[in-house]
Amino acid sequence: MLTILSLFGRSPFAPLQSHMEFVAKCVHCLPDLFDALERKDYDRVEKLSEEISNLEHDADLIKNDIRNHLPKSLFLPIDRGNLLEILSIQDSIADKAEDVAVLVTLKPLELLPIFKEEFKLFLHKNIETFDEARLIVKELHELVESSFGGMEAAKVRSMVDLVAFREHEVDVIQRRLLKSSFNAEDQCNYISFHLWQKLFENIAAISNLSENLAYRIRMTLDLK
Amino acid sequence: MDTALLIVILLTGFYMAWNIGANDVANAMGTSVGSGALTLRGAVILASILEFSGAFFFGSHVSKTMQSGIINADLFANDPRILVYGMLAALAAAGLWLQIASYYGWPVSTTHSIVGAIVGFGAVVGGLEAIYWKKVAFIISSWILSPILGGILGYYIFSMLRKKIFYALNPLEAARRLTPYIVFVVVSVLALVLVFEGLRNLHFDLSLMQKGFLTLGMALLGAGISYLLVRRIAPQRQTVLAPVSSSYGEDVTHSLERARKHLQKVSTSTSGELQYHVGLLVEEVKGIEQTIQQKSEVNINRSEYLKVEKIFGYLQIMSACMMAFAHGANDVANAIGPLSAAVAILTTGIYAVDAPVPTWALALGGVGIVIGLATWGWRVIETIGKKITELTPSRGFAAEFGAATTIVLASRLGMPISTTHTLVGAVLGVGFARGLEAVNLTTTRDIIISWLVTVPLGAIIAIVLFYPIRAIFG
Repeated sequence: MLTILSLFGRSPFAPLQSHMEFVAKCVHCLPDLFDALERKDYDRVEKLSEEISNLEHDADLIKNDIRNHLPKSLFLPIDRGNLLEILSIQDSIADKAEDVAVLVTLKPLELLPIFKEEFKLFLHKNIETFDEARLIVKELHELVESSFGGMEAAKVRSMVDLVAFREHEVDVIQRRLLKSSFNAEDQCNYISFHLWQKLFENIAAISNLSENLAYRIRMTLDLK
Repeated sequence: MDTALLIVILLTGFYMAWNIGANDVANAMGTSVGSGALTLRGAVILASILEFSGAFFFGSHVSKTMQSGIINADLFANDPRILVYGMLAALAAAGLWLQIASYYGWPVSTTHSIVGAIVGFGAVVGGLEAIYWKKVAFIISSWILSPILGGILGYYIFSMLRKKIFYALNPLEAARRLTPYIVFVVVSVLALVLVFEGLRNLHFDLSLMQKGFLTLGMALLGAGISYLLVRRIAPQRQTVLAPVSSSYGEDVTHSLERARKHLQKVSTSTSGELQYHVGLLVEEVKGIEQTIQQKSEVNINRSEYLKVEKIFGYLQIMSACMMAFAHGANDVANAIGPLSAAVAILTTGIYAVDAPVPTWALALGGVGIVIGLATWGWRVIETIGKKITELTPSRGFAAEFGAATTIVLASRLGMPISTTHTLVGAVLGVGFARGLEAVNLTTTRDIIISWLVTVPLGAIIAIVLFYPIRAIFG
């Protein structure tokens, strides 16, 4: 007679949030990583890179767990495809963080003074963008409670706009950063230069993906 | 021998009632315990009172259907005792089948097994013409319609709550304003049933006008009490709406809000260039307001939804009571219908089709349900309460109110329906209104399979049991 119990499937929203927390741990390791790089403490870089890799793996486990428990017969308040998309974007943010960590260990790099300050600002803004997106994911519980509408939805919409604005700021900084890095012609060899470019791309991807994530969540909101 | 037979019948019927109390009452109360609206002790006490009154005051309609609405007793006129054995066989078959099903954890309905058993025995022993097939068809269609109706009601009730409360700019305020109306509706449904039907068993005779006024009075009284209570729950709107943000005081946000409102007034009453300039100012003030509020808003919402749910906790107690009442009214028939038919024949020797369901039998059923609840049912309530945490009070209220209304309606029409399946339908309805985090749709498939299996199996077991029973007592 416990029929009514079997009616409640496993909710994917709480695991989705805990997945995001693991992603956040990955991303928040990056400042430490580049601090170590600046101090040329390559052992520490190696160690941190490994840590990020482990965290990314933990996030993957949660991701697989969510996917395994999301059968078609489960009815969710938001579109299943949207939910999986949100999950996959979150996961690719962790992937990008891991990529950055791997790239840094390929070759002992030097943070050149010519773009040092700009790079730090760039990294910081990217993480800030990510954190704004993370706040939106944290609102998921309240969104579920208000069934994706009303005041809560209005708030999330304004948060999404904020993420988009931060992403724009990142773009502006990135342009300046690229300019400075191209001026560093005589200060680094081509291999290092290429590696730095790759790093910029991957770090910028974090804010781009954060913006995507924010828009995806916005798409789940009730249009009234 | 007759005394022994009578005792066996009473025991079997009582066992069925016990079973209903032990297993099914949890549907009504489990969710309220789970959401913390009721303590386990409170739930058991409330359920006992309401299940009993549901069974006693309102159980006669469905019991009557079970007693004389399915089998055409005229065909058994020359040997009415066969009917006694048959009813006993049906009771025993349903009890046995429920025992097996609950051992394996199948979602089987008491109603379906008992109706299947009665139909099976009647068709085999009395021939196909012994069954009122038209009535049976009605009953079966009510099994299909009741979860659907429960679902539709659940969907619309929750959609209404969503639109009026959760989408409101100030959910708490909206909930407070709406609560008296909700209470009014819930109480009037319950009062309608009690006043128009229930009092008959106590032999109160009131005129239609008196009944109407009594119903209206009860509903208004309920709404009035709720109005006073709600006012006490959340007295201070100010502190909820504008808590002190990190750097600015409450008065700052308040003044800003007022400034914006005054500017808006100016902008709506002017035109042309002035309106344009004032409009720019309004936008600017809005911007400032938003930056100040952004940080504090996260906390406001959280506490506000919590308070809304708290109000619904009280409303859910009402809907749970209604559910318990409706459940008692509908499900007592599963035990009492066959029992009273058998006992009537056994004591009087003839089968009177028009015989009303005896009051003592309804009371016996009610007591059986309460004892089942007290000895075993509370455990099931506890289990359900611990496991269903997804159903917050607002969702629980919508589902229970939708289901209970459907069940009350079916009970009035004398349709023996499955309360569990109706509630499942209502919960699904709430889920479809985007109210639940994850609804498992495979349950519906299991339920349909259990219908297809339960009815024939109940019939077969009843037939198998009928012959030994006749051999022993005949």
